[in-house]
Amino acid sequence: MTLHTAIVKIEEEKISSEKAKNFILSEENGAESIFVGRVRNENNGKKVTAVTYDVHDKVVIKSFQSICIDAKSKFDKNASIFLEHAKGYVSVGEISILIAVSSGHRDEAFKICRYILEEIKYKALIWKKEHYTEGNEQWLPGHSLRPKEEIK
Amino acid sequence: MEVKLKLYGSSKMLSDKETLNIELPNNSNIETLRDALSKIISKKYLKNSLQNLSKTAAFFSEEDEVVNDSYKLKNKELISIIPPIGGG
Repeated sequence: MTLHTAIVKIEEEKISSEKAKNFILSEENGAESIFVGRVRNENNGKKVTAVTYDVHDKVVIKSFQSICIDAKSKFDKNASIFLEHAKGYVSVGEISILIAVSSGHRDEAFKICRYILEEIKYKALIWKKEHYTEGNEQWLPGHSLRPKEEIK
Repeated sequence: MEVKLKLYGSSKMLSDKETLNIELPNNSNIETLRDALSKIISKKYLKNSLQNLSKTAAFFSEEDEVVNDSYKLKNKELISIIPPIGGG
């Protein structure tokens, strides 16, 4: 098996970089690239304490798999990919996304990792609500899936 | 007729529950649902937070496929509202 994708309910378990490293380990693949995204303590001048991630699980898992399969066919069909994204309340410093890739060569490993991240940012049905030190919270704006010409 | 709106992202401000039941005239389509949503947002004094939601949201059928504004809604149908997405 060379592909693992999951939505992780943070109240139940954590995203583990050790698990990811073990999954992508392969004698055929000499290059590994790992991206870890964590919740930052500041955004647009506001002090952030946590982010709640809302996820359309069924659609997101399908899109994760399709993005990873695309990445493999574009860059290296023998690559191993581990992708997990958090769902629920994630405190500052905790992992929200982890992408780990092993590939035959470093260029492909970097490219696959970057490709997956950018595609997720653009396509995955994931929403973020920031929680601030003042006790207030805010859903962050995003881009609409509705065609531009239909929005009057 | 009535549809059940499954809430995601910012639309969760509309209810404490996962879904919101919306009364619509018979033979309504997604465009009618957008109008009804706009009224609900005003009624709940959420215009500042959800000002463009009724225009910018996409809608998914029960089969998780995007439906356009002319899509005819069925009574008791479950429709998902997909606000603009923020990514990972």
